[in-house]
Amino acid sequence: MTTVAAPGWIGDLALHNLDAAYNLGRWLLGNEHDAADAVHDAFLRAARAADTYAGGSARAWWLAIVRNCCLARLETRNKDRRNVSIDSAANDDGPARSIIEQLLPRSEANEVEERLDQAQRRTLIARALRELPAEFRETLILREIEELSYREIADVLQTPIGTVMSRLARGRALLQKTLAGTAAASEVTHGL
Amino acid sequence: MDCKTAQDTLALYFDGELDRAASREFETHLDACADCRAALIELDALRAALRHNAPRHAAPELLRKRIEKLATTQTDAPAPVSAGRTAMRAPRWLAYAASTVLAFAAGGMTVSLWDSSGRNAEPAQASANAQLARDLFASHWRALAAASPVDVVSTDRHTVKPWFEGKIGIAPTVHDFAEQGFALVGGRIDYAGDLRVPVLVYRHGQHLIDVFVLPYSATLPGDNAKLQSGYRLDAVKLGGQSAAIVSDLDQVELTRFAQLLDGIK
Repeated sequence: MTTVAAPGWIGDLALHNLDAAYNLGRWLLGNEHDAADAVHDAFLRAARAADTYAGGSARAWWLAIVRNCCLARLETRNKDRRNVSIDSAANDDGPARSIIEQLLPRSEANEVEERLDQAQRRTLIARALRELPAEFRETLILREIEELSYREIADVLQTPIGTVMSRLARGRALLQKTLAGTAAASEVTHGL
Repeated sequence: MDCKTAQDTLALYFDGELDRAASREFETHLDACADCRAALIELDALRAALRHNAPRHAAPELLRKRIEKLATTQTDAPAPVSAGRTAMRAPRWLAYAASTVLAFAAGGMTVSLWDSSGRNAEPAQASANAQLARDLFASHWRALAAASPVDVVSTDRHTVKPWFEGKIGIAPTVHDFAEQGFALVGGRIDYAGDLRVPVLVYRHGQHLIDVFVLPYSATLPGDNAKLQSGYRLDAVKLGGQSAAIVSDLDQVELTRFAQLLDGIK
């Protein structure tokens, strides 16, 4: 058992960007446990590799380590073919809605329905994101949710900026297409 | 800029990766191209959908505790120079588009920019006025986003005035109103259309106020106070010269400041 002596700034960096790291892990690995473990691994690795930080965005350096830990975990997972719990897709809210409508006065039922619609939108978007190929998904998460610059994303993914740009463009187009498709489909069912 | 080039630039603009000059060039194209405007709005809708519906998974408390524990067992060492994160901001045009209806309703102007149905029918003058108003808001926002909103820092009007004269040959009337609560911060040179104009920068509490000194008169529509995303624009006279105030002051304070400027002889 070796103890890791990391400079204090690693702790600050990791804690300051813990949500970003965990969120990336969640979207890459799909469940809480793996994401948390990957971030934990990443901290130990960052502590050992503190001297490899060579300037630039420290956040990008940290997220690059997190991502590598996630990818390593994905690889072993695929090798083991273990059963892993993927974030469960939300349930069909059809029956729930009809029960609510029976039990509640109309106005309250409307309110609940709105909340269900919101939940449904979340489910749709989350599903569309999950179904994106990983390289587009991670690029979109880093840009749209974590608000990293192209330069930072390139550092995290260890790719040229041109690749970041094309992945963003392709990822956005794919997602727009999927969402447009599901929106159209749900409108059809509502109309019936 | 042709549409093909603009399409390649669109995402860069949307993601805040363009410098000032390139942004301006792209915005000029946007004014004329409905397709690019639509594409930009779609990108924004997608971003909004993601931020609303794919919210960030916050790190579980347990994980945070684990990392905190690991981190506190470490020795302290000086932190590396933290690379400043570039401030991410929404493209100004989108902020503008979102508030167009409000802005022109408040301003009592009949112009509705980028309303393709009636755009060509508008008098050229009204369109130019709206363009100028848009430029002034954009300049103010850019200045707020920049590292420093001023090129020359001074609370002394005897410094600011000659500085402008030396840079662009215009010596605007400069007064400090620190006693009245509007302290002179300094000045910068910015663009209104393709003209370089002096901008006097004041501070009132937390609010930064830009006063654009316009080299020509009657180009801003009357006394209309214009509102955009919580920012206001007001036309004033500054020592007989036409000027425009842009800030996020409320209307009462803005009027008070405008009266101070108007009072300069």
